[in-house]
Amino acid sequence: MNNKFDALKDDDSGDHDQDQGSQKDCEKEKNDNDEDDDQNTAKKKVCVSPKYNATIAVPGVGEHPLQYNYSFWYSRRTPGRPASTQSYESNIKQIGSFASVEQFWRFYSHMIRPGDLTGHSDFHLFKEGIKPMWEDDANKLGGKWIIRLRKGLASRCWENLILAMLGEQFMVGEEICGAVVSVRFQEDIISIWNKTASDQATITRIRDTLRRVLNLPPNTIMEYKTHTDSIKAWEDFHGLVNAVGGR
Amino acid sequence: MTTNAQEAKSCPIPTRVLTLKDWSQLPDCYSQTPGGTLFSTTPGGTRIIYDRKFLLDCRNSPIARTPPCCLPQIPGVTVPALHPLGKLQELKEELEEEEKDLGDDSQFEMDI
Repeated sequence: MNNKFDALKDDDSGDHDQDQGSQKDCEKEKNDNDEDDDQNTAKKKVCVSPKYNATIAVPGVGEHPLQYNYSFWYSRRTPGRPASTQSYESNIKQIGSFASVEQFWRFYSHMIRPGDLTGHSDFHLFKEGIKPMWEDDANKLGGKWIIRLRKGLASRCWENLILAMLGEQFMVGEEICGAVVSVRFQEDIISIWNKTASDQATITRIRDTLRRVLNLPPNTIMEYKTHTDSIKAWEDFHGLVNAVGGR
Repeated sequence: MTTNAQEAKSCPIPTRVLTLKDWSQLPDCYSQTPGGTLFSTTPGGTRIIYDRKFLLDCRNSPIARTPPCCLPQIPGVTVPALHPLGKLQELKEELEEEEKDLGDDSQFEMDI
C-alpha cells in the first residue's frame, strides 16, 4: 500500500501551491485555517468537486498520518424498493476520504452517531480504493466477522472498532478491508471485512482483537461469514440466481 | 592501533528538555527515523500504530475540529434531520419496512 512517509517528506512550499489551486473548492476550509493560524496549518488536501469523485487526501502539516487512507460511506435502503446489485450501488454514497487522524475527526465529529440513525441505514469505513461491496476485487475472496448488538450499544462499539482499525491494532498485514455498522429494526450489527476468508490465522487474530478492543457484553455472539456464503444466502432468500452477486 | 591503558572518561549524552503545552509544538521529526513510527514499531515493520487514548486525545486539537470541506449534506446524517413531520414520515417508513424486511441479515420472517 501507499507509503505515507513520502507525503511527509514533501516541501512546505510545494504544498502551498497545491492549496492555491484548490482554493475555490476549499474556501471554507481556508477561512477556518486563517482563524486558527498559530502555525502553518496549510492543508494539503486537494479538494475536487464531488461529481469527479477524485478527492485525494494527504496528511496536512502537523497532522498525524494514518497507515492507509480511508473513506466513509453511507447507505440507506428505502422500504419497498427491491434490493439488487444496481440499487445497492446507487444507494450507497461516499461521504469523504481522509489521510490523517485529525482529518478523521473532522469527518467523524460532523456525522451523526450510528445509534441516532433512523431506518435501515449503514455507515461503512473502508480503505481508499476498496468499495464496500462484495464484488470489489479486495472483497471477492473475503469475509467478515459480524457482531449483533442489542439497541444502545452501536455508537460506542462502532467508535471503538474504527479507532482500532485506524490505529492498526489488528496486526494482520494488508488483510483488513473495512468496517460496517448496520442499523436495523430491533438490533444493530457491526462487522469488519477482510480479504482472505480462508486465512484462518488472520481470522483468529481479528476475532481476538475484536474481543480485546470492543468490551462486548458477555455472551455476545461473534460469527464469521464468507461473502460467497452471504451471496448464496441472499440468492436463496430472494429465489434468484445471479452470477454477479447482489446485496 | 595501540591500546591505551587509561580508561576513557565517560560523558553524558547531550540532551535537551522541551516542555510542550500543546501537541502542535511537537517537532515533526520527533522520534522518527525514516520509515519509523512516532509511538511504536512492529518487528521489521514500519506500521503507523496509534492506541485508542492517543486517537481520542487528537480530537481536541484545533485542526481536528473544523468541518471538512466537501462534506455532503445528508439530512439526518451530516446535517440535522428535516422538519419534525419528516421524522413522522421516517417512523412510518420504519413500520412499513418492518413488515417487508427481506434483508439477508434477518433471522426470520414475520407475518403481521
